Amino acid sequence: MRLTCPICGERDRREFYYQGDAVMLDRPGAEAPAQDWADWLHLRDNPAGRTRELWYHEAGCTAWLVVERDTLTHEVFSVGLVENADAD
Amino acid sequence: MRFSGLKVLAQGLTGNRGWRPHWRDPEPKPEYDIVIIGGGGHGLATAFYLAKEHGLTNVAVLEKGYLGGGNVGRNTTIVRANYGLPGNSEFYSHSLKLWEGMEQELNFNTMMSQRGVLNLCHSDGQRDAFARRGNAMRNQGDDAELLTPEQVREMVPFLDFDNGRFPIYGGLWHARGGTARHDAVAWGYARGADIRGVDLIQNCEVTGIDVQEGRVTGVQTTRGAIRARKVGIVVAGRSGQVAGLAGMRLPIESHVLQAFVTEGLKPCIDQVVTFGMGHFYISQSDKGGLVFGGDLDFYASYAARGNLPMAEHVMEAAMTLMPMIGKARVLRSWGGIMDMSPDGSPIIDKTGIEGLYLNCGWCYGGFKAVPGSGFSFAHLIAQDRHHEPAAGFRLGRFSTGRGIMDEEGTGAQHNLH
Amino acid sequence: MVDLTALTPCSGLLPLRKGTVTLSELDPGRITSLMPFRGQGAALSAALERAHGLGFPAPGRVEQTEGATCLWTAKDQAFLIGPEPDPALADHAAMTDQSDAWAVVLLAGEDAEDVLARLVPIDLRPVAFPEGAAARSLCQHMTVSISRRAEGLQIMCFRSMARTLAHEIADVMALVAGRRAAG
Repeated sequence: MRLTCPICGERDRREFYYQGDAVMLDRPGAEAPAQDWADWLHLRDNPAGRTRELWYHEAGCTAWLVVERDTLTHEVFSVGLVENADAD
Repeated sequence: MRFSGLKVLAQGLTGNRGWRPHWRDPEPKPEYDIVIIGGGGHGLATAFYLAKEHGLTNVAVLEKGYLGGGNVGRNTTIVRANYGLPGNSEFYSHSLKLWEGMEQELNFNTMMSQRGVLNLCHSDGQRDAFARRGNAMRNQGDDAELLTPEQVREMVPFLDFDNGRFPIYGGLWHARGGTARHDAVAWGYARGADIRGVDLIQNCEVTGIDVQEGRVTGVQTTRGAIRARKVGIVVAGRSGQVAGLAGMRLPIESHVLQAFVTEGLKPCIDQVVTFGMGHFYISQSDKGGLVFGGDLDFYASYAARGNLPMAEHVMEAAMTLMPMIGKARVLRSWGGIMDMSPDGSPIIDKTGIEGLYLNCGWCYGGFKAVPGSGFSFAHLIAQDRHHEPAAGFRLGRFSTGRGIMDEEGTGAQHNLH
Repeated sequence: MVDLTALTPCSGLLPLRKGTVTLSELDPGRITSLMPFRGQGAALSAALERAHGLGFPAPGRVEQTEGATCLWTAKDQAFLIGPEPDPALADHAAMTDQSDAWAVVLLAGEDAEDVLARLVPIDLRPVAFPEGAAARSLCQHMTVSISRRAEGLQIMCFRSMARTLAHEIADVMALVAGRRAAG
């Protein structure tokens, strides 16, 4: 599998670190109940198909990336910078 | 039909014409007391122990494909009870005891081979950790022995003992561990369940789970609706999708784990040898193939095939540990889908829906757990209370933080196990 | 007072020559990392231009002038190599002295790209990676910065990894030289 980093171009999977589901970008509000925080930390949709994930270009430009990808075929639909997706 | 030496001899002399199929191929009935979703090792073992231990035989196992066609049909077949944490120790200890009695209990040759498991250590710190783990194993009543480098050398002289990066400082020897024939385990439990009256229904995919007023009432399948008082989900590799049918989200990510088999060779590796520092482990099958694997590919996948960088990594680790393996030719490799839980330990628990039970999260260690998991899950379903050795495998431990079983000490976080 | 002798990261390891390829150490002099504050990229580039005669490099590029190099090393990060940085740059960027933290080597010769093709998972042939190009990638399992100079390919890794870098590249140089000798 290869990912096209918006900064570096198409690169080998070895250069990237996998963080997991992009649900991590949707942090609950500070006042949210504890159960919301627990669910956010641990529960996953874990789809067999199209998914949205966070990857880190660890051995490249060190950008955090949002990758839309298919977990069944490994087809990559889009790669973008986290900062364009996350107001924080 | 009972297997015996006499029977094999008699069949051999009469052209093997008297063998019958090991299980029936029944039509699903409209209603069962208990429906088990998933006809893999854990599901079949659950059905067997429901019938044998609890006398519950109005049970159906629903399998989307064919029996034993998932991870029990392709894995590296290792059986062991060498865990270090309370909660895991007693469970795997119980499971290993069931392994030891399995062939008699099932009247089926599962080729259980207690050839021993050797974990290698490469630093003082790792040796200390092994000493601690070995003590935990012995406290549990299992066997463990800390070996010196000389003792390891006597056992496996072909390793690279003086590797600059990973010199071998010794090992933890678990003599009762070993390997078993993975398919035979599924077949043995299937046969044992079928004999006792359990319906094993193949090509039957569950497409819905019926819930009324917080209570499960049955399932929808590709072969029609089936009513049931209790439903157990045992579908590691697809847990998220099946639980989703009941509106649940799980603390599970699915990852791919690769394994490799070489051409058949003369016997050369008598034990299971693990090289944890390189994420590599190996044994030799009875056919002679070297069976080995490494770490996860480390990204969510249902593709059942691996990525080349991890294949390369596993080969590098193999060459680092035992340079002689460079002469062997790899015949095939495959990737299996692992239910990865945040702390690396499994889940056997009730759910928020009455009558719906969940068994999942076996990470990359589900095979050795097959008998224990089936036994404990059957106990939970039959009696509505946890079987003591598996009582720690709670679904709620992640949100409460109590009872996290994190063998690797990396924290209960996805992607760290 | 003891008289200390400064050793370069690859002292005793390089230079090496195998087949058509040479691997030698470069002394980069002063290395300063520049990380522009949010929204200060253009201002930093202008300040660099005023003080050192070169701009902040675009991703994957090297800016070069007499006596100074500015090498792109990561998202919003570049190394000013050569001169003492002008203090005025500190108004626009976080600056860190990284001199002596890096091993810098030059791989040159006809088969240099063939050598790195066995170690680095990106295309480094001149057509894809001409003079002025820079990249962060892997050399085996190590992260490195690679850039093309007129004399050849410059490779930078952490100083503590210098021996591994020299070892990995030297091994492959021998393989490639052997392949060439075999025809």
